[in-house]
Amino acid sequence: MTTNTARDAAADGIRQTGRTGGTSVSLQDLSRSFGTTRALDGLSLEIAPGELVALLGPSGCGKTTALRIVAGFESADTGAVLVDGKDISSVSAARRDMGMVFQSYSLFPNMNALDNVAFGLRMRKQGSAQRRRRAGELLDTVGLGPQAQQYPHQLSGGQQQRVALARALAIEPRVLLLDEPLSALDAKVRLQLREQIRTLQQRLGITTLFVTHDQEEALSMADRVGVMRQGKLEQIATPDVLYDDPATVFVAEFVGAMNRIPAELQASANPRTVAVLGSTVPVKDQEPPENQSESTVGGDGPVDVLVRPEGLTMQVVANGNGIVTHRTFLGSVTRVRVMLSGDVAVQIDKPSSEAAALAPGTSVSVTLPPEPVLIAPRRPATP
Amino acid sequence: MAAVADVEAGAQTPASATGPAARRRSFPVWRWVILLVAGAYFLIPLYAALRFAGLKAFGDIFKQSGFYPAIGLSLRLAVITTILTLVLMVPTIVYVHLRLPQIRRSMEGITILPIVIPPIVLIIGVLKVAPGFLLSTPYLLALVYVILAMPFAYRSLDAGLRAFDLKTMVEASNSLGASWPTTLWRVVLPNIRTAMLSATVLTVALVLGEFTMASLALYVTFPVWIVQFEQNSGPVSTAASLLALFVTWLLLMLIVTVGGRGARKRGGAQVALFTVAAPAESSQTTGEPE
Repeated sequence: MTTNTARDAAADGIRQTGRTGGTSVSLQDLSRSFGTTRALDGLSLEIAPGELVALLGPSGCGKTTALRIVAGFESADTGAVLVDGKDISSVSAARRDMGMVFQSYSLFPNMNALDNVAFGLRMRKQGSAQRRRRAGELLDTVGLGPQAQQYPHQLSGGQQQRVALARALAIEPRVLLLDEPLSALDAKVRLQLREQIRTLQQRLGITTLFVTHDQEEALSMADRVGVMRQGKLEQIATPDVLYDDPATVFVAEFVGAMNRIPAELQASANPRTVAVLGSTVPVKDQEPPENQSESTVGGDGPVDVLVRPEGLTMQVVANGNGIVTHRTFLGSVTRVRVMLSGDVAVQIDKPSSEAAALAPGTSVSVTLPPEPVLIAPRRPATP
Repeated sequence: MAAVADVEAGAQTPASATGPAARRRSFPVWRWVILLVAGAYFLIPLYAALRFAGLKAFGDIFKQSGFYPAIGLSLRLAVITTILTLVLMVPTIVYVHLRLPQIRRSMEGITILPIVIPPIVLIIGVLKVAPGFLLSTPYLLALVYVILAMPFAYRSLDAGLRAFDLKTMVEASNSLGASWPTTLWRVVLPNIRTAMLSATVLTVALVLGEFTMASLALYVTFPVWIVQFEQNSGPVSTAASLLALFVTWLLLMLIVTVGGRGARKRGGAQVALFTVAAPAESSQTTGEPE
């Protein structure tokens, strides 16, 4: 309790002395190529003051390149980065006032935790006593006051990242940049640090850009999540919109679990419908993004319906359209794998209390509620 | 943690009574044999030299004419060569690691050349093309010694830089507002201190022992003096050789001990003269978009 009070007081102190109110960041049509690889392809993104935006995407999608361009470690081939409306493209990394936490533990091995945190203040010519006091406050904020004199090799991975966070915050950055800061940590520490980062970010109101390939991290921490693919932003939205109303097939399948069920599109109907699992359901209005042929669906014919595991219903019946093949206990829910006729495997979430009756081999009837569904071109069957 | 340690210790206990454990016990015997043979190979000549020189000759070294100018010149050359080597090599290797990692292999090839080219070829070439003002000063040798020391200095510094995540450290420093010179001074150099000490030791040892070039350039460095003095007094000359060997060895031990103490405090690597560092290169590649 005492420790928490000390941390709160320290954080309040930082908030009072820091640049609060936040800074807006605008990425305008950024492009960057490495040889023949196009890492960024016209990326545009607006981040509101005090907002935490996560860039999510598979390896090679350009998210780290975007972050490094904002930090000043890379330069864009075309486009601009604006901070509070001013183009900072020609400003060096050292003069951008951006705090960065790296994926690898980036503490200086020759300095103890206190000196690491005080490093940025030293660069800003603060007096020794003042910077040591402030570094101490920040270490208290991240709960590492007692470890102030320890060297990085004497700290655990989680502690090192907390020192790195304190170091980044010490300079009262205009923008906080987080480059997969949790990916090298074990699950429990990752969860703790995730909450700590989010709490601090909200308390201090620092505009934050967070890059991760872990969707759980992105969805749980960010105000908005941008899903990237091949150097472009596929969709940026709040986590719930991203999950419930994905704009593209890629987003739908990248974020969360998704089933693909073969169906027949009736494009001539108004609104369009699909025949799937023995019923006819309406199709969601889809806006296919440019150059996104995968999600462009033409006239009548075979398509795949995309539906989440919790979007399917299932009942135990004799001679149903599916057989339970596997169950995975996930806590309050159990994910049941069902093989439908035509060798189509789907996953369905059931409350764990009800899943006990669904032993492998049980015959079930799988149906789709009459809600609008997302469709995608039929994916060829894998051999 | 203690529990884990106990479990691990317990897990090893039964194995100690089995075949592999018996084989492990036999290894130290072979190690001792190899150590003794290697030790004899090195120590018998030294012992013979010591017997030949006698202890009195060590005291006489300092009374011989030409001793102090020769050792003075060698020490001055050692200092100048070391400074020049570090000033040239450290920024170069840091730059190569950060900006041109693709030429590291070429650099390794180039820096090995002074070992491949005989010193006699090098010095004759230098004496032919060096301008007059350089030919008239013994410090010409320092410039040539920088080339000779390059293979050793490069490898030590390269290993030191590979042992920590240079790129991330530099970027972290820059993002905190540090300029390039500040980053080099406060972040990079302290973390390659051990490697710099290794490079220094090797450079000093090389300069204190180099004979061919100094002799052909007609400058009396300490090794040249030893050879020249041998004609006057074999025992004193031999004692001087042994003294040079001991002083160099003591210097090495001093640097290894001091460097190791500093490195241990910071959790870094021990001082190793010919280190093949475990690379920390995962994030040092460039041009890899994510």
